[in-house]
Amino acid sequence: MPDGDRSIATRALTRRFGDLVAVDAVDLEVAPGEVFGFLGPNGAGKSTLVRMLTTILAPSAGSARVAGHDVVHEAGAVRRAIGVALQEVGLDPLMTARELLTLQARLFDAGRAEAAARAERLLAMVGLDEVPPATRVGTYSGGMKRRLDLALALVHDPRVLFLDEPTTGLDPASRAAIWREVRRLNEEDGVTIFLTTQYLEEADRLADRVAIIDRGRIAALGTPASLKAEVGEEVVELELPDPDAARRAADVLAGLAPRRSLSGARARLYVTGAAALVPEVVRRLDAAGLPLRGLSVTQPTLDDVFLRVTGSGPAGAEAKEATP
Amino acid sequence: MTDILLLVGRALRDVLRQPTAVVPNIAISLFFLFVYNSGLLSVSRLPGFRGSYLGFILPVSIVSAAVGGAGLAGQTLIRDITDGYFTKLLLTPTRRLAVIWGPMVASAVVLTVQVVAVVALALAMGLRIATGPAGFLLVLLLAFLWGMGFAGYAAFVALRTRNAAAAQAATFAFFPLIFLSYTFVPQEYVTAAWLRAAATVNPTTYVFDAMRALLNGGWDTGTVATGLAVTLGFATLTGVLALWAARAATRTAA
Repeated sequence: MPDGDRSIATRALTRRFGDLVAVDAVDLEVAPGEVFGFLGPNGAGKSTLVRMLTTILAPSAGSARVAGHDVVHEAGAVRRAIGVALQEVGLDPLMTARELLTLQARLFDAGRAEAAARAERLLAMVGLDEVPPATRVGTYSGGMKRRLDLALALVHDPRVLFLDEPTTGLDPASRAAIWREVRRLNEEDGVTIFLTTQYLEEADRLADRVAIIDRGRIAALGTPASLKAEVGEEVVELELPDPDAARRAADVLAGLAPRRSLSGARARLYVTGAAALVPEVVRRLDAAGLPLRGLSVTQPTLDDVFLRVTGSGPAGAEAKEATP
Repeated sequence: MTDILLLVGRALRDVLRQPTAVVPNIAISLFFLFVYNSGLLSVSRLPGFRGSYLGFILPVSIVSAAVGGAGLAGQTLIRDITDGYFTKLLLTPTRRLAVIWGPMVASAVVLTVQVVAVVALALAMGLRIATGPAGFLLVLLLAFLWGMGFAGYAAFVALRTRNAAAAQAATFAFFPLIFLSYTFVPQEYVTAAWLRAAATVNPTTYVFDAMRALLNGGWDTGTVATGLAVTLGFATLTGVLALWAARAATRTAA
């Protein structure tokens, strides 16, 4: 598929801030209609990449096309084709939701009546139509602001929607509402969605494909299932009294499970045929005098993928990875 | 043009929703006019003084009011940047010019309303405008353009610093502009050579001259045209700087 037919295509896209390389020669392709999850620890370069793709930050090197247009030379055409809800909502607290939506629609060239109609439709869609019309946005709760910000991103029926950590800091109900809406936009309206998140569960639920960025580079790319399969078939999770004991346990079991990760007082072993291994795990820990607080066998999650590629949890939790 | 009108309308509506941002400015300019006129009235008794002192000092009140207007434009932009709304506007196809002109034009409109109030007070105090209603409209035009000039400077500082305190501090630059001129007495009575030199290079001097001609003297086309040209040049200069800063914002934003 040529770059022009892709929703997003980057070529060695790079952004430097002084000596820091925030985004380092990233090549990425997102097909129309895809939900693409973009994961990474804080400061890995997620937001910098989104800002470049959405035309509000110029790349230092490389190029990017979004909806078939170059983000630098055809920024206007890109802006018309994309909807953007950044991590920090962008709302004028002195205005009402209807005023903000109508103004936004008119800035995207809708006529007065058309803009008003779209505002009503979007308010209903994000569940803010019951709010008294004169309420200024400054008095909204965090969840309401996030929903309104999403509505603002949709005011011109964009073909590609960028959502930068859309559910960070939201309560479970608001998060579920955003997830429903994202899925509906993708399935019913065919909107391509580029989603950054720190919540791996969110990417697992929503994304067709996932990329993990670490220190500015793409560290892993694939469907959630294929990435999880790379980690191993099963995970044996051991809970020990403290992180030090967990570290010693991981060392003791190195011969049984060459791939392991640590997270606090928990050690995770990536194995095949867990049922047959568990008795031996218990015997060896017993022999080493390490008291086991709990043991469970689970499927790998994107957290495991994340730990493996970035060497730390999504929130920066301590972890250690050992491979033979 | 639509995007500019939409964003000016939005900025004006915001101003009306925060009356505390403008009411003190209007009160201060009325107060200045009153005390300057009462305290310095005797200047008009100096030999060779033409017209009324009220007509002479009124432009000082108007130009001082533009400082408050500029502060308003700067603070609106800082508020938009802090609230993330500035970025939201940059994500629309709207021209960058419209994004910064929204708050700038709104502040100049507020200033123009303020000038109407000050002139109304002056008329009540006995001012007679030498050039009549047409002259009054020209005074408003000069005030509007001068307001755009100050607002452009404030917008430039706001966009470069993104910091409310810095933008506020930058308005101190207006004081030499207002006071290093023939602010309280006509040129003939200023003897300090340094002040005369400063006044000559200070664009405000030409605005004072033009407004004073319209209010006190009569149709002095040369003076009025010079004032308009200087004001337009100043507004263009700071406007270009502000536009450059708005464009640079997308190159450097972290």
